[in-house]
Amino acid sequence: MRRKTGIGAAPDKTPVVLSLKDSNARIVYALDTNAARAGLKTGMALASARAVVNAVHVVEADLPADRAMLDVIADWCDRYSPFVALDPPHGLLIDITGVDHLFGGEQAMLSAIRRAFRDQGFLCYGAIAGTEAAARALARFANGTIAAAGDDAATTAPLPTAALDLGEKDTHALVRAGLKTIGMVAERTRNELMARFGKEMVFKLERALGLREKPISPRRILPAYAAERRFAEPVVSEDFIADAILGLATSLTEVMEERGQGARLLEASFFRTDGAVRRVEVETARALRDPAVIAKLFRTRLDALADQLDPGFGFDLVRLAAVQAERLVPETVGLDAKPDDEKEIACLIDRLAARFGSHRMLLFQPQDTHIPEAAGVAVPAQHADDTDLDWQVRADSEPPRRPVRMFAHPELIDVFGASAPDGAPPFFTWRSVRHRVVRAEGPERIAMEWWQTYDHKPERDYFRVEDESGQRFWLFREGLYMHGAPERRWFMHGLFA
Amino acid sequence: MKGGMKPVEHRRDARDPKPGPDPDDEITVLENQPPYAEIAVTSNFSFLRGASKPDELMLTAYTYAYEAIGIADRNTLAGVVRAWAAFKDPRLKEKKPKLMIGTRLVFADGTPDILAYPTDRVAYGRLCQLLSHGKLRVPKGAKRATKGECTLFFDDLAEKYAPKDEYPRHEGLLFVVMPSREENPDAVKSALKQLRALAPGRVWLAGSTLYHGDDKRRLRRLNRLARECRVPLLAVNDVLYHDADRRELQDVVTCIREHVTIDKAGKLLEANAERHLKTPREMIRLFREFPDAIAQTVMFARLITFSLDQIRYNYPHEPVPPGKTADGHLNDLTWEGAAQRYPGGVPDKVRATLEKELSVIAKQRYAHYFLTVRDLVHFARSKNILCQGRGSAANSAVCYCLGVTAVDPMQIDLLFERFISIERNEPPDIDVDFEHERREEVIQHVYQRYGYRRAALTATVIHYRPRSAIREIGKVFGLSEDLTASMANSVWGSWGSEMKENQVRQGHLDPHNLAIARSVHFANMLMGFPRHLSQHVGGFVLTDDNLDTIVPIGPAAMDERYFIEWDKDDLDEAGLLKVDVLALGMLTCIRKAFDLIALHGGKRYDLATVPREDPAVYGMLCKADAIGVFQVESRAQMSMLPRLKPRKFYDIVVEVAIVRPGPIQGGMVHPYLRRRNKKEPVEYPAPHPDHGHKDELRDVLKETMGVPLFQEQAMRLAIVAAKFTPDEANGLRRAMATFRNLGTIDRFRDKFIGGMTRRGYKQDFAERCFKQIEGFGSYGFPESHAASFAHLVYISSWIKLYHPAAFGCALLNSQPMGFYAPAEIVRDAREHDVETLPPDMSYSDWDNTLERNTAGALALRLGFRQVDGFKEDDASVIENSRGYGYPNFAEFVRRTELSKKALMVLADADAFRSLGMDRREAIWAVRRLPDQHTLPIFEAQRLKELPPEQTASLPVMPLKEHVLADYQTLRLSLKGYPMQFLREAFDAERVLTNKQVLESKDGTPVRCAGVVLVRQMPGDAGVVFVTLSDETGITNVVVWPRILERYRSEIMRSRLMLVEGKVQKAEDAEGGVVHLIADRIWDRSDELEQLAADPVRPFQGRREDIAYQRPDSRSPRHPRNVRVLPKSRDFH
Repeated sequence: MRRKTGIGAAPDKTPVVLSLKDSNARIVYALDTNAARAGLKTGMALASARAVVNAVHVVEADLPADRAMLDVIADWCDRYSPFVALDPPHGLLIDITGVDHLFGGEQAMLSAIRRAFRDQGFLCYGAIAGTEAAARALARFANGTIAAAGDDAATTAPLPTAALDLGEKDTHALVRAGLKTIGMVAERTRNELMARFGKEMVFKLERALGLREKPISPRRILPAYAAERRFAEPVVSEDFIADAILGLATSLTEVMEERGQGARLLEASFFRTDGAVRRVEVETARALRDPAVIAKLFRTRLDALADQLDPGFGFDLVRLAAVQAERLVPETVGLDAKPDDEKEIACLIDRLAARFGSHRMLLFQPQDTHIPEAAGVAVPAQHADDTDLDWQVRADSEPPRRPVRMFAHPELIDVFGASAPDGAPPFFTWRSVRHRVVRAEGPERIAMEWWQTYDHKPERDYFRVEDESGQRFWLFREGLYMHGAPERRWFMHGLFA
Repeated sequence: MKGGMKPVEHRRDARDPKPGPDPDDEITVLENQPPYAEIAVTSNFSFLRGASKPDELMLTAYTYAYEAIGIADRNTLAGVVRAWAAFKDPRLKEKKPKLMIGTRLVFADGTPDILAYPTDRVAYGRLCQLLSHGKLRVPKGAKRATKGECTLFFDDLAEKYAPKDEYPRHEGLLFVVMPSREENPDAVKSALKQLRALAPGRVWLAGSTLYHGDDKRRLRRLNRLARECRVPLLAVNDVLYHDADRRELQDVVTCIREHVTIDKAGKLLEANAERHLKTPREMIRLFREFPDAIAQTVMFARLITFSLDQIRYNYPHEPVPPGKTADGHLNDLTWEGAAQRYPGGVPDKVRATLEKELSVIAKQRYAHYFLTVRDLVHFARSKNILCQGRGSAANSAVCYCLGVTAVDPMQIDLLFERFISIERNEPPDIDVDFEHERREEVIQHVYQRYGYRRAALTATVIHYRPRSAIREIGKVFGLSEDLTASMANSVWGSWGSEMKENQVRQGHLDPHNLAIARSVHFANMLMGFPRHLSQHVGGFVLTDDNLDTIVPIGPAAMDERYFIEWDKDDLDEAGLLKVDVLALGMLTCIRKAFDLIALHGGKRYDLATVPREDPAVYGMLCKADAIGVFQVESRAQMSMLPRLKPRKFYDIVVEVAIVRPGPIQGGMVHPYLRRRNKKEPVEYPAPHPDHGHKDELRDVLKETMGVPLFQEQAMRLAIVAAKFTPDEANGLRRAMATFRNLGTIDRFRDKFIGGMTRRGYKQDFAERCFKQIEGFGSYGFPESHAASFAHLVYISSWIKLYHPAAFGCALLNSQPMGFYAPAEIVRDAREHDVETLPPDMSYSDWDNTLERNTAGALALRLGFRQVDGFKEDDASVIENSRGYGYPNFAEFVRRTELSKKALMVLADADAFRSLGMDRREAIWAVRRLPDQHTLPIFEAQRLKELPPEQTASLPVMPLKEHVLADYQTLRLSLKGYPMQFLREAFDAERVLTNKQVLESKDGTPVRCAGVVLVRQMPGDAGVVFVTLSDETGITNVVVWPRILERYRSEIMRSRLMLVEGKVQKAEDAEGGVVHLIADRIWDRSDELEQLAADPVRPFQGRREDIAYQRPDSRSPRHPRNVRVLPKSRDFH
């Protein structure tokens, strides 16, 4: 299964490849139809791919995202069978024992699954066989095959030896020995193979031949505690749902109390009548066992969901599970306990963000740059990076280097009689008021970040000045006297106290 | 500007970088500048800190009329010779600033940086020793000092270098404490106080005004501090570059150093561009409140009397026996040698030459040098290590008599003139080549004889080259590694000093993309910057005194190997001599061939006793039958051979030298060939009769038919025809030697061409001569080298002709060397009727060997060294346990006790045939062995117990698979050739075999395909030679620049190449070389991979809309299973 969509804007015919860093070289990790047609191969060095195809659109492979996507797909496959196992990096194993008739038989089921994937923009290889290993081999090397019951060995026999998934070394050894298909390997005596490749290899072979089985382990972990409620009539109303959660929470917490535990991670699953499953999680900062609080948390969570819980034709099952639980014993709070400021602020941020949206809670963060107006930037408080940067702290004996108030946009001022090349102005007029400078320090020369722009931006010479009335200003001249800058303008950029 | 930008103009023109003063311009000096000396200057030898070259800094200081300038790089003196040499520029006429040599001491113990300047020669020696001490310091917990590091502590200054020394290390040094902005004031104060206590009156505190806003306040504070500590305040600008324009480059190198992209660099970068050299007037304005700080700079400079001129070299005394003078000893040895060389009496001509040479040597006091070289050669002889000297002085009669060379001066007339000439004051140049496998013994001898304090290797300054520059800079601008790799890969090799726009396009990148444009722009600026110091391959500096008082010494990457901070150009500038102890693969090969010949009943030969001037040897060379022969086996050389038709020794000398950038760029090749083939009369270019005798060039050019071919001739032309003064000629020689690094050769263009045309030489001839000089700049090739090489060409040809089996065997045993892979060497041997036998556990040793076949002829038995992944130790176990042979597999396993892995390698290499097991059976048998080796005795017992298996036999391995498996394990096959299995498919495309191409008529349009053996690009002429091979032979493809541009990526990357083009047969080549001139090129490497792929097609169910892809692309593929053919060898 390969991700084919959502990889940025590449023109229609442009081959697209995903690349990955493999030890020191960048290799092609996956490719699209155009790229395959152009002769690219997975595993080849990206540089050679570029040499083969003139214009190739390269996107960095994102393995965690692929894995997440596989999880989503597995979730979605819950509808076919509860036994879904991951076969990373891009495979799924579904145990369809006893469910295929629901979909009109094996053939129809396989076609339906493949169609469903294709419609969603995925490329899907699939096969059905008696054992996991046989199905796996067929899907990869004989897409679309269905091995009739008891016919696994005959079906997998013509597949290349590589389909046994024995690893590069053993596969190579078998092929060197002239055993190029599973069938040819199967013809050798088991003793002969076991002496050369070990027990595990023989097991693998027998599994691929349908002679030995290895049960698949379903991927979803069993929650620590779970409670579920089925509805005779599908429910739609939010109130009903909320009630159901409160009820489930109550039964859940009762059990947990008996065992002295509290929930750290709760998950509510809403099973729609049409088979879609929606899962909503709530994480708690500390172990929790209060049904009312649980219910409230879920309500807030459901209210705040960006994509509303769509009941469709209604839910027929709601399940509440404590996915993670830990010991919870009542704790005594000391009389002299002091509130933890950091924690309180973090809590406040979480609460406010939950209510107003995280994009509206901002926090100033220092930036590593010489450009004064860029030195601090407001970022969403919950997404503030853990940075090592600190705001520049001045030494006790030093005057402040930056004004208390810095203007977002420097204001043009009139300046008279500043001496070249780096003198402070004796007078300046700002917002129609003329100031006489009695003290000045500077200049602090700041050159602009040349790599940010196409053309050269003039340097600035900053001065800290004090006027007759004791007011202190932060001024700068744009442009130096050398370098033949055409005009030199003066600006007010901030006020000290 | 937006949008329609050109790639490199990413900012306004006024700030474009000035790459230093234009070499042709007069250098003007600012007038009326007050006295000032800049003490704190960092050059680009403070790697990735300074952003200007030493000469750029020096010339700017000159232009600004500085009183003095001090160069002080971080814990190194590596850049000082270049700074010193910059002031030798003949254009500098006014008063030059005084150059102060110093170092910025950077400490590991929190001490602020301190500039240290020696006042005199002795103090300079102490500074060198201090730096050597820091470089050789072994870090805690480590076994040895780290290359490229220098760890200093403040206490090192107070120590004595050796207990017997009178003074501590700081004696005679002037110190300037450099407080950084972040520095804790207490640290500065304590450093000042301690230093003042150590060196009263020799300590200063540096103050700078770098526009940080609080400059004045800070200066006042520093001034208070200085007064408190009773040291003077000294004005500096703490310079990082010569011109404000270099700020951007400095930002970029800072990013490289700190491993950050430029937009993440933040305050690691300087806030502004103020750290450039400023005019004295400007410095005085900036320090107007502290005029004394300016005055101190001048006083500081006056205290320094040291200059690099004072470095006096003294030769080791060891080779001279007590009671003898060096000259006397050299005389004795020379005449002794002469008597042996000429048993029938020394010919008069030789006698006269010897006398002349010896008198020159005495006059120049080079006797020690010759004795040192003779000593090395003598040692090698005593150990039976082949060696041969080359270089201008090596081809002297003295060196022949001393046994340094085997080129008889009687054979070559011209060489007498090539000896060190006094008027040019060239230092004698002798490089000695040793067998590459045994050079280490010679090096150890050097250390034993002179000790680590007196012998060290020369440095090689590793400069940024296009690949490295674009890689590093690309990172700074956030380009992904595959982008920069793609750009770097389209640069051929490491030559070239500029990345061009179409190279960017070749990497399928947009040169107008800003990040790419900037990367290219800065990569071009960074090229030629030093990157780090490395050891020279074999250039030794030997001294009588301690070498570490002349230049700092540091550890090399190899254990017990040390190198100095200066490279060969620096040594040349400073007038120090070095002896090159080089490794030459061909000498190893020749020695091994001599051994093999003697072992198998032949005579015992050495370099001097191989029969000379054998016409059959020349006959073979004329036919370009030269695979494996020294030097002339390259494609360009092979196509020259049938045209030049060497018939005597000197012809080989010419042959070796003519296919080089110099003669090619100078357009000298064709005139020479025409004259040689009597299609054009031999005449000598002459000046106008008013300006000189018409035969003034006859002496210079008579051996080469009036056409200048050698570097020495070009030099003579400059003196004789262009009337260069000795000084100018010396400058030209230096420029030629350092052309690649400094680009100063242009300075001589007008002088050279003008000088010749003014005297009546033709413009065209003069220009070609100069082009040739430029060519020598990129790859100098003097006649003296050519003569030594020619001797080895002759000897290797002689062995190839008369002892082809020994030759092939020795070549294989000396790999890697030369142009051709083992597969071609084996093929060539077979074509010369040498039977070649596969590696086999019953017969093979580690090395390839010779054995008598049934017909009684010598056959070549491949050794286990040809088997990829097989270890020499395992091979010797097989040799030693063999006894009278291995009766069966079980016995072999029992006796050798090889690991299962080693056995697998052997089985996969098909080395069990003598036991009646082919590859497949052997693999199956080895696989069956138990995995873990337990105690050998139990192992043996268990082995015996392995029951016989009753099982069907394995499918028979088809030939194609055997051949491919051979290639995967041996890189060659004696059973067949991969191309033969593709032949059918290629036949359908009307692709000819290489043999058919060879037989085609001149001008026929053909297509042919083959595995790429070698790609070569001689010089930077833009022509690429590709050698293709198939089952019938090889085809020589020539790709002209136009085609190269279009098919660059195919040419660079193909392993299997299909070429369409026209056959070209040189008219004057009898049975000689046929070329295919390429018109179109396809990369068909895929087909090779198809061959290697599993021949069983995967069973296809219903086809989806996409071809089958390997499901798990991430599983690492073992290279052995993937590689069908070894990579080609690429030369440039």
